Amino acid sequence: MYQFKYDKHNKYHRAVQQTAIVIVSLVIFVEAWWVLSILANTPAVPTPGETWDALVNLVNNGDTVTDISLWSYIGASLGTFLKGFLLALLVAVPLGLILGTFNTLNEFATPIIEILRPIAPIAWAPILILAINYTIGPILVVFIGIFFPLLTNVVFGVSKIDSSLLDAAKTLGASRAQIFVKVMVPSTVPYIMNGVKVGLGIGWMCIVAAELYAPTLAGIGYFLSEQATLGYWPGAFAAIIVIAVLGLLTTGVAEYVHKFIAKRMGMDV
Amino acid sequence: MTAEETENKSLDELQIEQLEHSDPHRTEQYKSISKGEKLVSIQNLSMVYKTDESETVAIQDFNLDVMKGELVSIIGPSGCGKTTILRAIAGLLKPTGGKIMIGNKECIGSGPDRSMVFQDFALFPWRSVRKNVEFGLEIAGVPKEERKERAMRYLKAVGLENFANSRVHELSGGMKQRVGIARAMITKPDVILMDEPFGSLDAQTRNIMQASLVNMLAKTDTTVIFVTHSVDEAVYLSDRIVVLTKRPAHIKEIVKVPWPRPRDRSSPECTAMRKEILGELEKENVMN
Repeated sequence: MYQFKYDKHNKYHRAVQQTAIVIVSLVIFVEAWWVLSILANTPAVPTPGETWDALVNLVNNGDTVTDISLWSYIGASLGTFLKGFLLALLVAVPLGLILGTFNTLNEFATPIIEILRPIAPIAWAPILILAINYTIGPILVVFIGIFFPLLTNVVFGVSKIDSSLLDAAKTLGASRAQIFVKVMVPSTVPYIMNGVKVGLGIGWMCIVAAELYAPTLAGIGYFLSEQATLGYWPGAFAAIIVIAVLGLLTTGVAEYVHKFIAKRMGMDV
Repeated sequence: MTAEETENKSLDELQIEQLEHSDPHRTEQYKSISKGEKLVSIQNLSMVYKTDESETVAIQDFNLDVMKGELVSIIGPSGCGKTTILRAIAGLLKPTGGKIMIGNKECIGSGPDRSMVFQDFALFPWRSVRKNVEFGLEIAGVPKEERKERAMRYLKAVGLENFANSRVHELSGGMKQRVGIARAMITKPDVILMDEPFGSLDAQTRNIMQASLVNMLAKTDTTVIFVTHSVDEAVYLSDRIVVLTKRPAHIKEIVKVPWPRPRDRSSPECTAMRKEILGELEKENVMN
């Protein structure tokens, strides 16, 4: 009789084992949720079954209260997210390169950064959204969320530049500007990508939270708060699942791009 | 064609390349200097490092003339400041006193007239092998097609034409340093500064690299200042060997190596010279 023997050096065996562990983990998670919701015995904790039905309904029919489809909610959230992300990239990368290069400037900026950095980005949400407006506010919250991890990574990246590469460029006749463009920027790219990776995760947390404050009819965060306000708990839980899946996709893409670029640049970070 | 013929052919091309593409500004200036005449002159070079508590004199009144087409190596007890001298010539360190002249021009700061080969290769990991070699030309604003063509000739000369599109991390240590040498030569420097270029290679690769360097130098009239801690390497490669004292470094003696290259490293006269220089170095170390 054929007997299966697990071989930990066989990559197919390992892949099968890992997949099995993931499945078991998810099944136990859903079961635990199910048991909890029955024990809690309150409509605020719907069972996975009820949530699934609400999710299917959300995908097929959209938000039945406002008649807005799930896709336009997601589109709006991603749009805000992308704007905040690009803004952070445009500001944090040049600023980080400058602060990393000029020590005095960095010493000047550090106290300011250290005061602002520990503030949870979402703490700015009520101020920014109510004081500025409903569209720009959430973008700025995402911006703050992504900005600081990106900035610290870029400054760190500049400090990690191999000084012999700078020497090599100098002895080949490179000017300061050429060294900046041809050596410093490419050297820092893997660190920029690492900052992007961390920033995307934090940014995604910020977007949903910021939308809770924004009473516009856009964004998955708005849908979540609407459903909860109306007491449609399964719908609210369905929204949370949508948020989780999108978050996974965002960080997954960032992870992939990070690895690809680090390899392309011949560096491991 | 045998491997040797192939190498000779690509070295001939290198010679053509060296003659064809001369930087008009620089050649104009030094046209008068021909092989064997004084090219580089280091005058009263001194380096002092100051900290709050103390002043360390690394180099004191270092004087050296290097002729065009000559390979001069600098050797000395470890920590004596040989790399400091080289970095000062390269313009990467500002000397506390003295000056460095090429022809009748004083060198201030770094420039492509004094390119450098580094012990840790210092290749740009995000660039392909060819793009690494092209770097100096790119800086000088040479058009893309010409850059590519010239880089390929240098890669051929160092035997890496098949690795033009490889990434740096795919190469072995010896191959990396071949790229480093090609990159330093392509700008047609007046002098190439080599800072223990084969120091991180294994013994066999080291010997092969030394032999290829000798081959390349024979075809061109490149001037080299070579820092090493290997007496064997110095005797095998150099026209003259500058032996330094311990810190503060000054010249203990300059040994002339009279035999033509390529040399036989195990010949009695090479062995005798190695023994003599090793003896001198040992005295420096004991006197601590």
